Amino acid sequence: MIYLDSAATTLQKPPAVARAAANAINHLASPGRGGHRPAMAASETAFACREEAAALFHVTSPEQVVFTFNATHGLNIAIKSLVKPKNRVVISGYEHNAVTRPLHAIPGVEVRVAEGPLFDQAAMVESFRRELDRGVDAAVCTHVSNVFGFILPLEEIAALCRAKGVPLIVDAAQSAGCLPLDFQALGVAFVAMPGHKGLFGPQGTGLLLCAGEAEPLLEGGTGSQSLSQTMPEFLPDRLEAGTHNITGVAGLLEGIRFVRRQGVEEIGRRESCLIRKMGEGLTALPGLRVFLSEDPEAQGGVLSFLMEGRDCEELGEALGDRGFALRAGLHCAPLAHRSAGTLETGTVRASVSPFNREGEICQFLRAMEGLNKP
Amino acid sequence: MLYYLIVCRSLTDAQRTAAALERAGITARVLRSPKSIAGEGCSHSVKVSQRSLPDALRVLERAALSPKRIFITAGDGSYQEVEL
Repeated sequence: MIYLDSAATTLQKPPAVARAAANAINHLASPGRGGHRPAMAASETAFACREEAAALFHVTSPEQVVFTFNATHGLNIAIKSLVKPKNRVVISGYEHNAVTRPLHAIPGVEVRVAEGPLFDQAAMVESFRRELDRGVDAAVCTHVSNVFGFILPLEEIAALCRAKGVPLIVDAAQSAGCLPLDFQALGVAFVAMPGHKGLFGPQGTGLLLCAGEAEPLLEGGTGSQSLSQTMPEFLPDRLEAGTHNITGVAGLLEGIRFVRRQGVEEIGRRESCLIRKMGEGLTALPGLRVFLSEDPEAQGGVLSFLMEGRDCEELGEALGDRGFALRAGLHCAPLAHRSAGTLETGTVRASVSPFNREGEICQFLRAMEGLNKP
Repeated sequence: MLYYLIVCRSLTDAQRTAAALERAGITARVLRSPKSIAGEGCSHSVKVSQRSLPDALRVLERAALSPKRIFITAGDGSYQEVEL
């Protein structure tokens, strides 16, 4: 099987990730829930993971790094902390349901969509500027579209939000570990990300970077201020009720260490090269509609395409039968498809990681050529 | 042997405190606060030797880390709060 679905989760991980997770199952107890050796070892692992993440994303204090179950969990905390009933919120036209559904669940929220053509970064900045000028209470923006790999101009959008005093939530589901992300410099309120994609941790891990106050989504034990019946005011305890997924955190720690050793820029460059090779190869085939940016700087390691006269799910299935793992459909992001004009058809999506090889892209292109013949 | 316990607001705060002290060459150990000094329930403290406290406080001030409370062990095994 050639795995081209890293936008869903990375399947190939650095070997140290599995070793750390296995070691955690055997030797780590619950952080903060005892003074014995297995509990303290778990505490040290959790702290090391927070410190590595803080260093990778330029976060001032490891206390601002909160463990979540996934990016969706973090986005829910962030959105429900900042957005109140009847607030006005601007979002990009390329958001995932992990953003739009929590917003929809808050009564009376007016969601304004910053529209813009696919891969047109300048248009996206202008669109955000217009909506911010109209007045909003909060903004949410994905860094990279999970459907098309469109890299949104985050620095510019964050600067606009700072100038207007509008808190910005960033969905870094597709960019964490693949694109540079400087939390301090951006000056945003929250960044939510999964641990199991570009950071190579196990599934069931995620991180939420918090600039300031946040409201808990869950209440419960934290191993601190136990006499109080309200959640602690301080991070990370305020947002981490219940036992941690320390097995996942131990794996995530090794994943982040891998990313820091490789270098985010190098990982991003490698993924970009692979996706361009794939995109150019597919574009050369007749009867295909390929969503490849002319500007390599505007697209990450994700590529969508369609084959004329063929249902995207059928094409995904046929590729699966031939040993290629890709995802087809709407990718939980109907808004992004609406923005790109593919809501009716969906797309087939290929997404890479630094563990993919050029030879695998060549094999994939040959398979597509075969499938494209009448 | 007499030692000080620097009570921290959270486990992560205690870990930050201990890490800052260790980086400055001061031996520091995170442990759960004794029940008698924990105050609001479970908490974590950082243990430092008696002679290290002045240096430790300087290091923590430079790192913008504020101890919640500080206790010293008494000869009978109890703890006495130290006024900062």
